Amino acid sequence: MNQNKRKRDDTMADAGNTPTGPFIAMFEGFRKELDSHHDRRERIIKASRDITASSKKIIFTLQRVRNVGQPLPPFVHKANAQYWDTIAKQYSSIAADLQSLNAHRYPQITGGNQEFIEALSFQHYLETQSLLSYSEAKEKIAELSQPKIEQEKTEQGKEMETLPEDSSVVPLTPEDYILGICDMTGELMRFSVTSMATNGKLPAGRAKATPVSKSPPGDDKMEIDSAPSTASQAPSEGSQPRTVLDDLRAIRTQLEMFEAPYGPKWVSELETKKMPVLRECVDKVEKALYGLTVRGSERPKGWMPDVSSDRRAEVESY
Amino acid sequence: MASQSGMVDPAIFQDLQARVDEDTAVRDELKDIIQALEKHNRNVSFVLSRAHSTPVANLPEVLKAAEESINTVVDDVSKLSQAASKLPYYKFNNMWSRQMQSAVEGLLLWGWLGGYKYDGGEIKAGRLLTIEELGEILKIPVNLKERDEFHLTLEEYLQSLISLVEELTRLARNAVTLGDYERPLLINQFVKDLFAGFQILNLKNDSLRRRGDGLKYRVKDVEDVVYDLSLRNLLPKKE
Repeated sequence: MNQNKRKRDDTMADAGNTPTGPFIAMFEGFRKELDSHHDRRERIIKASRDITASSKKIIFTLQRVRNVGQPLPPFVHKANAQYWDTIAKQYSSIAADLQSLNAHRYPQITGGNQEFIEALSFQHYLETQSLLSYSEAKEKIAELSQPKIEQEKTEQGKEMETLPEDSSVVPLTPEDYILGICDMTGELMRFSVTSMATNGKLPAGRAKATPVSKSPPGDDKMEIDSAPSTASQAPSEGSQPRTVLDDLRAIRTQLEMFEAPYGPKWVSELETKKMPVLRECVDKVEKALYGLTVRGSERPKGWMPDVSSDRRAEVESY
Repeated sequence: MASQSGMVDPAIFQDLQARVDEDTAVRDELKDIIQALEKHNRNVSFVLSRAHSTPVANLPEVLKAAEESINTVVDDVSKLSQAASKLPYYKFNNMWSRQMQSAVEGLLLWGWLGGYKYDGGEIKAGRLLTIEELGEILKIPVNLKERDEFHLTLEEYLQSLISLVEELTRLARNAVTLGDYERPLLINQFVKDLFAGFQILNLKNDSLRRRGDGLKYRVKDVEDVVYDLSLRNLLPKKE
């Protein structure tokens, strides 16, 4: 850059209102760079906040669903369409800011990403009764990161217009995925407890379907069926359908077995905050189910304080 | 157990585990290099700390000794650069950022004292090494905008400048103790110029801002030294 720092005497030549000095020109360049960095950061913070807010609202709507492993009722799509739009708008607006060198520069996006994974995986669970995979999550964010025009095009000709390779995509880190999934277990807990309180039973999938086809591990692109198409499914081992509690336990087992490295900040968050909450969630559902099993049948009909008419007081034995 | 296989595809977590393990392996590899860098940075600052108790006339010896330590630092940095350039820069940079700042702090002080391109004779103090010059010395790119490679960031450079000011503030007092009344004047002007530079930056509420806010106290500290000298008529007369 400038080599003007040798001579002291020419520095104080004129002291006007504008700052002068041997380093001012250099610092003016710095200011420009810092400003654009801060602008980028601000944009990402704002987008992350909006994505978080919309994801929360999507979750609220999803909590009004009562079934698992079935297409979502129309009211969900209607209510959530605007939030999906917002999320797509925000993702596509910051995709360019999170490329190459800057891909990992702004941890401010993690809040939005985690909350979005929570919403996305919760919805995925309600529809398919299976856990959203990391690659599916990345694909979804990639899709949402595309500018709007691109999206409409791909809707028309999905086969032909594969997403352009050079188009920018908001990255999703494995840690944000994991932490988002942890948060989602809280939603499963709420979903279960609400269901038990209103319907008097723990939500479960359909008896016949084993929703996830097993393919050899390591197959990254494994298809988790998005619709309950049971035709190709092998008959399930047991006749009992899986309950949400079974699934919660399955996630818990996987996460307990997960060997988190020592050091990174997200790991301490996982271990000191998310995992205890996850254990507590499983515990809460187990307690509720215990209560339902032990005392459920003793309760006088209509004891439970809710207004829904199709409530079933009886509980099948578990 | 039957239910478990239905909910979670085990491949999901196997894949995640593999990714996380890979990161851990990368961190382990970097850790050794960074530890070496840390050690050699300490050597540099150990040698350069003698500047506080060495009259200017004897400084060339200190600078020569510093240069030897600096060379090992340069080696460490190029090792780090090689290992880290394969990785997304900002994913790991907090591992080495502190040590890169230390390395640059040493170089900045060494450069200010006159060590840079010193070829015998009277040493010339008061030089500010630019970020580009530091990149040349360390043989790494600086202040990259697009390319995702190892480099010296602008923030690291600015942090190191603040450290330089702190170090020079000390030096101003210690120079007086050594009977050198010229150096505080030089430092006074230099620190003011740098401070003027920092003042035109729009710093957000981050560590740069917090440390940058402290600069004005350093400026005042040096002014106080100059004031003490002028009060006692100790300032060198302008020729």
